[in-house]
Amino acid sequence: MAETGPQKQPDEAMLDLLIKQVTEGLSPEEQRELDVLDNEIASAYSRDLEHAAAAIAVAGSGDPAPMPAALRSAIEAQLQSAAAATAAAPSGAGGRAPSSTVRTIGVAPRARSRSTAGWWAAAACLVLAVLGWLRSPLVQRPGAAPTPAQQRAALLASPGALEIQLEATAEPAAAGAKVDVVWDPRSQRGFARFVGLKPNDPLQHQYQLWIFDGDRDQRYPVDGGVFNVPANADQVVVPIRAQLPVHAAKAFAVTIEQPGGVVVSGREHVVAIGKAG
Amino acid sequence: MSPLTVLQRMASGDPAAVRECMDRYGGLVWSLARRLTRTASDAEDAAQEIFLDIWRSAARFDASRGSDKVFVATIARRRLIDRMRKKSGEPPMEPPEALESIAWSDPANTPDIAIDAAQAARALEELRPEQRQVLELGLLHGFSQSEIASRLSMPLGTVKSLMRRGLLRVRELMNITVESAAGRPDG
Repeated sequence: MAETGPQKQPDEAMLDLLIKQVTEGLSPEEQRELDVLDNEIASAYSRDLEHAAAAIAVAGSGDPAPMPAALRSAIEAQLQSAAAATAAAPSGAGGRAPSSTVRTIGVAPRARSRSTAGWWAAAACLVLAVLGWLRSPLVQRPGAAPTPAQQRAALLASPGALEIQLEATAEPAAAGAKVDVVWDPRSQRGFARFVGLKPNDPLQHQYQLWIFDGDRDQRYPVDGGVFNVPANADQVVVPIRAQLPVHAAKAFAVTIEQPGGVVVSGREHVVAIGKAG
Repeated sequence: MSPLTVLQRMASGDPAAVRECMDRYGGLVWSLARRLTRTASDAEDAAQEIFLDIWRSAARFDASRGSDKVFVATIARRRLIDRMRKKSGEPPMEPPEALESIAWSDPANTPDIAIDAAQAARALEELRPEQRQVLELGLLHGFSQSEIASRLSMPLGTVKSLMRRGLLRVRELMNITVESAAGRPDG
């Protein structure tokens, strides 16, 4: 990478600003000061210095420890969701990430976690009349893989499987919704079924399922996975993807979270909750 | 035609590339986020923002102009610096006992290290100890120049001078030029 010709050199004041920019950032006043200097030299040197700083940062990271598994799962789900949206976008979108339509998800800080009282307070506000399910016929094409609804029915028929009715809260998205869960403690498999839950825009928010394990701290229920409710769906059955082993499922809950879900829910939008047994 | 890189495949929406991206850069991003944020929850939020930034910028990666890891670190540092500026009124971010924990890559014995990071590691070995020290404190621990001056009991002007000369020397030893730098992540 040889230099191709004489370059203009930044003066010391400009260099100090550029170095501060790539090490700790500039105040608005400093940024204005930099903006009035020679923009061509400044931007070129800024990229140089930023590259050197980033290379030092990589060298100084050595062999870094892996990211925590729960955080990685949340980020990966968020990116998968974004990637799927990109792949499904019309060709006119140019295959580029729609940066303006993707929101950053926020992993709720642990300090924001509340006691389980919040969950049960939400449950206390439920519409209690849960009157039967609108069951869709199970139709299977010859040779097709079983649908989630069929897998749910099969799991329900297996010995030891639990069926838990969840009650919808007063959350607007849950108005009139009916929710149940089938959970098999032995295989750690389960399905959640929703009727009448408001369709969601996956780029704005997603539903997330939670499992309260009697053997774990109740402030941190196990993440059961995120899912979407498409428009015009009479019934949605989704597999539960527990991110950790569940030793004694005591309750299930569904919340609305940012795309990709969160590691710890802030519990601002609980849409359904139900105790096992 | 050379195969697409992980970043290019991620930009095109390949779901398998997302997992590879997390495998390849998750530790690096987490390491940078932990060093340059105040709390674990800050680091979690930052890591998520960084990966979204990487996803948005992935199509701009050009392997002929630098390594993917340094590209990712550039994006990560921009986001972290932006967050640091917004939180600049908050208390200092890192316990002093963590300052000795930098594990410098050995360019000769770390096969997976990016070539430009290996160049940077070699360049650092050429610096005067005090230049290297202020760069470590600033770039790897996220201390401001004022904080470094206070910590090392040095005049601020001395810290600025050491940092300026040190970083310019690294740039020179890495043979980065204005021409070659032209294709890195744009703002």
